Amino acid sequence: MTIYSDTALSLTFAALADPTRRAILAKLARGEADVSELAKPFGLSQPTISKHLKVLEGAGLVARGRDAQRRPRTLVAKPLRDVDQWLETYRQLWEDRFANLDDYLATHPASKTAAKSSRRPRRGRAK
Amino acid sequence: MTAGRNPTEASLPSDLDIRITRSFDAPRATVFDAWTKPEQVAEWWDPSRRPLARCEIDLRPGGAFRFEHQKNSDGSAHVFAGEYREITRPSRLVFATPSPSGGASIGTLQFEEDHGGTMLVMTITCASKADRDALLRMRVDAGTIRSLENLNAFLARPT
Repeated sequence: MTIYSDTALSLTFAALADPTRRAILAKLARGEADVSELAKPFGLSQPTISKHLKVLEGAGLVARGRDAQRRPRTLVAKPLRDVDQWLETYRQLWEDRFANLDDYLATHPASKTAAKSSRRPRRGRAK
Repeated sequence: MTAGRNPTEASLPSDLDIRITRSFDAPRATVFDAWTKPEQVAEWWDPSRRPLARCEIDLRPGGAFRFEHQKNSDGSAHVFAGEYREITRPSRLVFATPSPSGGASIGTLQFEEDHGGTMLVMTITCASKADRDALLRMRVDAGTIRSLENLNAFLARPT
């Protein structure tokens, strides 16, 4: 049994939120590539690509290949397929929903005081 | 924005179950009503904070419910629908929803007294592990990172 409240798994989703990083992953899905090979199609500088790669590596989506000279990167697809990752998305769905519910409960004192008999519910509140 | 919110926890207590736990700073009856009165559900159900387009609740065992979201930009509208199985205000609500395989998933909500507030324990029990995984997966595809769906499809392609 696993429990997540605020976990490293959200790193993966943060990493995937950026279109350039998704494009990098898509390119790596076709085979390993080094920084200059990755930079070319995007028209981005190598330091910019390196920065994106760092985020992807931090999220466990990209690993370094064996060739020490070229330092190619390879795709690690497994995190994308983990049930745990799916659960994290599901949790976030409910987190958003329950944040709404918090706000609803806080802005509707009439319903909130219904269980407490001492306070009269306020009437005529604009919705 | 979410600072100070009570944490939402998710777990997989068995191969068939998904559990979500969250506490609220309101009495049980208030939280229960927020789940079972259509004019209240409509206000908070959509995670993107848009009110529901329609919300219908027939609150009795065997009664149907239907939460219809506003249309997406592509014209589709997500609908969450099913039927109630048990209604015990303010402590317990059980409902069934269609499962991906054609069976039913059972949602059990326990509203527990928690220092004047409410601890909500929600358990979704699926008919099979495949159904459970499909349900979780569906959320990934339909959720905030729709683009991941495209990427997954790309990665699943034979090379």
